[in-house]
Amino acid sequence: MRTSRLLNAAALAAAAAALTAAPAYAGSGGLEVYPANATAGATVTVNTTACGAARTAAGDASAVGAGTFVLAPGTHAKDAEGRFQVPPSAQPGTYEIVAKCSGGGQVTGDLIVALTSSSDQVPPKGHVKTGVGGALGTDPAKTAAGVAALAVAAAGGTWLLHRRARGEGI
Amino acid sequence: MPQAPRRRVRSGLIAAVTALALCLGAWLLHQGTETHGPPQPSAAQAASAHPGTGHEPPGAAPLSSSPPDRIRIPSIRVDAPLMGLGLTPQGSLDVPPPQEKNLAGWYEAGTAPGVRGTAVVAGHVDNADGPAVFYDLGALTKGRTIEVDRRDGSVAVFTVDAVEVYDASAFPDKKVYGAADRPELRVITCGGGYSKQTGYRGNVVVFAHLTGSR
Repeated sequence: MRTSRLLNAAALAAAAAALTAAPAYAGSGGLEVYPANATAGATVTVNTTACGAARTAAGDASAVGAGTFVLAPGTHAKDAEGRFQVPPSAQPGTYEIVAKCSGGGQVTGDLIVALTSSSDQVPPKGHVKTGVGGALGTDPAKTAAGVAALAVAAAGGTWLLHRRARGEGI
Repeated sequence: MPQAPRRRVRSGLIAAVTALALCLGAWLLHQGTETHGPPQPSAAQAASAHPGTGHEPPGAAPLSSSPPDRIRIPSIRVDAPLMGLGLTPQGSLDVPPPQEKNLAGWYEAGTAPGVRGTAVVAGHVDNADGPAVFYDLGALTKGRTIEVDRRDGSVAVFTVDAVEVYDASAFPDKKVYGAADRPELRVITCGGGYSKQTGYRGNVVVFAHLTGSR
């Protein structure tokens, strides 16, 4: 009885550990595809931090006709990175790129193949809203110090006037 | 009265301290209650009328396409990660979340920094709490360098050609975002005066071109 209860507790603990570990493993980002909008013939870079310490994965871009490729540790910590070329014959559309981590689990990302290149993309227009005026405030520390200094001056002035009124001279 | 000279000295001392405290207090109050904004570029930092005829350093060959990760502008102590930015429904460049004060962004659907064309980076001058990543952008001057770390491990080095400030109502889209036949970079933040009703009146824009890599 005691043994089975212990076993149950152990199983529960393991399940809890698996539950908490699983999202951290698979949930730390999907497969980042760059450029997400590519033209036929372009080289696409994918990377992910989801493969954990192994940092290697088997990439699959067969959906777009680019076959398989390898993701190896990238220039970034915790990053697995790989490249493939979109076939020149690729048709416009959205394709799912898959990376199977060598330690288990897989991530996916979308690649959009467009007719026109990204240099034909719409540029932004107009000004950019990059501030709210929060740095324009006054300086409360200096203001407080100024008030304190003026209080000292007032006290000194009062004392001097008081002495003078008593005829003690300055 | 032997105490008279001592009293006189004491009175003199107190008078001096009083005068000093009066001056100091007035100066501190003036400094403390004055509204001070981010630095703005001077007219000398504007683009020269004949680009290419000045002492502009020669451009470097374009790099292959790789997304940027980080921007550094050593002369104004900027060192910040870059996030991808899209467009707002109105077609203007979106901005990073304002609560992240040391975060800049780049226009992901456009040109990557180092590639032939015009790459665009934007960041906040301030947020509700105070100065943000590009607070000192208006103090940047011609000839200074901007470095962009790229995901392929290379660093694109740009040299500043001009720092200008534009009113939001007269923003030169073509000059800022238009295509370029060499690798160029724009770094944008808010500026151009501030009013409580409308916020910052425009943008400070830094123009730079690729002059090296490593």
